[in-house]
Amino acid sequence: MDALLTKTKPAAEAEIQPKQKISGSEVLLRSLVAEGVDVIFGYPGGAIMPVYDALYHYADKLNHILVRHEQGAIHAAQGYARVSGRPGVVFATSGPGATNLVTGLADALIDSTPVVCITGQVFAHLLGTDAFQETDVVNTTIPVTKWNVQVAEAKDIATAVAKAFYVAKTGRPGPVLIDITKNAQNEMIEEAAHVKCEGIRTYKPRPMLQAAQVDRAAELINEAKRPYILAGQGILLSGASKELVAFSEKTGIPVACTLLGLGAFPTNHPNYVGFLGMHGNYGPNVNTNECDVLIGIGMRFDDRVTGNVNKYAKQAKIVHIDIDKAEINKIIRTEAFVHADAKEALQALTKACQSNKHTEWVDSFHKLNDIEFDRVIHKEFNPTGKITMGEVINHLSTLTNGEAIVVTDVGQHQMVTSRYYQYKSPRTNVTSGGAGTMGFALPAAMGAKMAIPTQQVVAVIGDGGYQMTVQELGTIMQYNIAVKILVLNNNFLGMVRQWQQLFHGKRYSFTEMTNPDFVKLAQAYSIPARKVEEREDLQGALKEMLDSKTSYFLEVVVGKEDNVFPMVPAGAAVSDILLEAPPGK
Amino acid sequence: MKQDFTLEIHSDNNFSVINRIVNILNRRRVRIKKLIAHENEDDFKRGVAVLLLHTTEDMMEKVKHQLEKLIEVENAIYYEGSSLYCELSAKHSIQEV
Repeated sequence: MDALLTKTKPAAEAEIQPKQKISGSEVLLRSLVAEGVDVIFGYPGGAIMPVYDALYHYADKLNHILVRHEQGAIHAAQGYARVSGRPGVVFATSGPGATNLVTGLADALIDSTPVVCITGQVFAHLLGTDAFQETDVVNTTIPVTKWNVQVAEAKDIATAVAKAFYVAKTGRPGPVLIDITKNAQNEMIEEAAHVKCEGIRTYKPRPMLQAAQVDRAAELINEAKRPYILAGQGILLSGASKELVAFSEKTGIPVACTLLGLGAFPTNHPNYVGFLGMHGNYGPNVNTNECDVLIGIGMRFDDRVTGNVNKYAKQAKIVHIDIDKAEINKIIRTEAFVHADAKEALQALTKACQSNKHTEWVDSFHKLNDIEFDRVIHKEFNPTGKITMGEVINHLSTLTNGEAIVVTDVGQHQMVTSRYYQYKSPRTNVTSGGAGTMGFALPAAMGAKMAIPTQQVVAVIGDGGYQMTVQELGTIMQYNIAVKILVLNNNFLGMVRQWQQLFHGKRYSFTEMTNPDFVKLAQAYSIPARKVEEREDLQGALKEMLDSKTSYFLEVVVGKEDNVFPMVPAGAAVSDILLEAPPGK
Repeated sequence: MKQDFTLEIHSDNNFSVINRIVNILNRRRVRIKKLIAHENEDDFKRGVAVLLLHTTEDMMEKVKHQLEKLIEVENAIYYEGSSLYCELSAKHSIQEV
């Protein structure tokens, strides 16, 4: 009966039949689908047209978002990856299309974000001839990718895609790029099932946990009187937040988070002692130079965390836990290290370490933070003059119960948001950390919203960074991406101005901005918009923004020359953190 | 104190691998005095590079780990001094004969 209905051919006959031929472009799209891709951020052009032609028939499987600039595409892919943990995917054409990705690649590399970029390239026979829109993309992007490759034959596309996804998401995640020549996109080859990559001979992404390393670290931690944990993004990438809480609760060790580590440990936990770094909290910075054992987990002792390395935690024994061997002893000489995935290391350390309490030590952080509250935060939240960035973020945190995904750009607003938004969950803080890329937030927020449409996503941006990628309002309009855009406008490049005030004799050299009418600009893209200048309107406007079912733009005019404090001056020890500007500054 | 080191790198052999290696060293401003690279005679997909570098031991240790982070690099082994440079270069050259 079955045979009559389906006319199944005998096996031998089926084997003889030649396989269907498909183009290299279709091989690429099939491979992406097989790797679980659902969204692509891209921009077409001459050298990637065969891929876009094939994509026309894949609209039901691959949701392509046409951005307004390739930098927008890669930042969107970064936002998508950061909140979902899945690699973000980008399409761009050759030449300027590909070089416009470079900033995002550098950003993704330093911030360990899995992104897979596919760039079109000129025909293989034109490589090296200075053909139209030909750029040596592989050599251009070697320093800013975890791995990249050029593919010049269709038969190599599927393997390259499989390897790209494997490299991007394993070990310390990072961006990868596949550059595909146009002839490879056009070439017809026999179709074959996509085979996922399960290993690479020369690449060992998951180091085996060494018991001796765990024992040595546990020995130092058990002997410590004033141990202190610095939690970085490695906790989030490893999915080790619960393990970190369990470790801290068993050992009684206080936890501070780096900029990218925010969300790794609940801010309302009694062992949470604050945000680390140049504009971090008072307690975490001062006590770095008081602790006896400093445990860095999934962090890389960035100079914004250490201040002057020669004056950094000299009294302490350093324990460093990281999946990237090259990070260990790169900046700070360690007494003990565990080269492993954070989750695995924390599970082992929790078993190996004794139960303990360090109540007085934890209290010492809170006492220092109380000083900061009295001298800085209270004034920031209860100002008498212009609206402050701090009070805006404080209200935002309260109104969202610390549960929104908050995407920040780079500058004063970023530091203020990191200080005052009460992050409660992993992967809710998205920002450009290591690279400090202005223009990151707006497209990254789009990507975050595409990844988790049910979540409230708020982009907090300064007036300078907003104008670096403002063209993505067009993308938000076209695809009805319901991100909330909160621009804190001081008509200055605020952080640079702050440095000019404090360290360059108030010579405000090219930092003041004459801005457009931001409300009209948003409205031109059919995005509801409002501007707030008076304190009495602030909370209502924030609520209106958050309640909006569509995208929404809110501009809040803040104090023109407000500064972000505390601050560790460049070259100073972290314990010399300033709570206010020195007299006369 | 800066001194000579001989660095032996075993890696995949592809169009970009030398650039990747040199890029790591350039970024750290490590002086490259000599460099020789060979395709493996038995397996053209693999290769060896031997470099004579002038830098500090601390820097050598750091770039070793950064080189081993490269996806194509299997391992990077360094030795103090320059005496092994000729020996290793010759050893890998002999495979080609």
